[in-house]
Amino acid sequence: MPYDAMSECDDEELLAAYARGDAAAARALTTRLTPRVFGHAYRMLGGDRAEAEDVTQDALLRLWRAAPDWRSGEAKVTTWLYRVTANLCIDRMRKRRGSTDIDQVPEPVDDAPSAAQTMQEAARAEALQAALMDLPERQRQAVILRHIEGLSNPEIAQIMDINVRAVESLTARGKRALEAILSGRRDELGYEDDD
Amino acid sequence: MTERKDDIGLDAFFAAARDDVPLPSGDLMARIQAEALAEMPVAGARAAPGFWAQLRDALGGWKGAAGLAAACACGVWIGISPPEGLSDYWQGAEAGLGALGLDPVSGYDLALFEG
Repeated sequence: MPYDAMSECDDEELLAAYARGDAAAARALTTRLTPRVFGHAYRMLGGDRAEAEDVTQDALLRLWRAAPDWRSGEAKVTTWLYRVTANLCIDRMRKRRGSTDIDQVPEPVDDAPSAAQTMQEAARAEALQAALMDLPERQRQAVILRHIEGLSNPEIAQIMDINVRAVESLTARGKRALEAILSGRRDELGYEDDD
Repeated sequence: MTERKDDIGLDAFFAAARDDVPLPSGDLMARIQAEALAEMPVAGARAAPGFWAQLRDALGGWKGAAGLAAACACGVWIGISPPEGLSDYWQGAEAGLGALGLDPVSGYDLALFEG
């Protein structure tokens, strides 16, 4: 995807160029990384755009500041960013839980029966998002990284600083919990119509 | 059987979530780009300082270096042309090693005899 004029360079090369004062690398990294970081923060935070924007800005600011001392070959830029983003989200969720409770989690579209026909896909995504918020933080992080972001188990293990078997266990338990939460809503979300 | 059916069901939810990509606003992109440019190191700014700059810093900057140079110049000047009044307190002959009754190599002689 030629998002930028430096699409042939990988993230690590771009970050090294950024550390040398290359403005084109700064723009290319912003274009490449912001959507990924924002998407992950948005899902981790249960669809809260404002908070996800704050986390994205914070995570990337940390990357810009880490760039001059970045040791190439040690960690992938995206792995590092996913880890920083998840930690920032978890910090925010813990603070939020302390002050306001689970009421801030957006509700799925219960009040619109017609949405099940017209916006089935969106309703499913929203229902999944709400169900994800009922999972413990680490399970949620593992499930999002594996099944929505599409990362491999070894990469998730690196991000979460655990071994691959622990990742498999987290995703398996997370999926079981999601099935239990979503099973009551299949009819409403038009699941039966698809099969 | 039930588990398999459940898996298929979850996959549909995951697929819907993957298609429903949350995109950052243009405003956020602009803010992050501005911050990236503001935080970007200036090219060549991180080069190591040269020898003289390091020496100057070790001596405490220009003031420290100037003080040290002045003290050295005073010492040399007093050595070459001592002030007249100084000989009243410190006479050349009395400052000799013999007059002080100290032989700095006496220990060395002893070591030489002992083999």
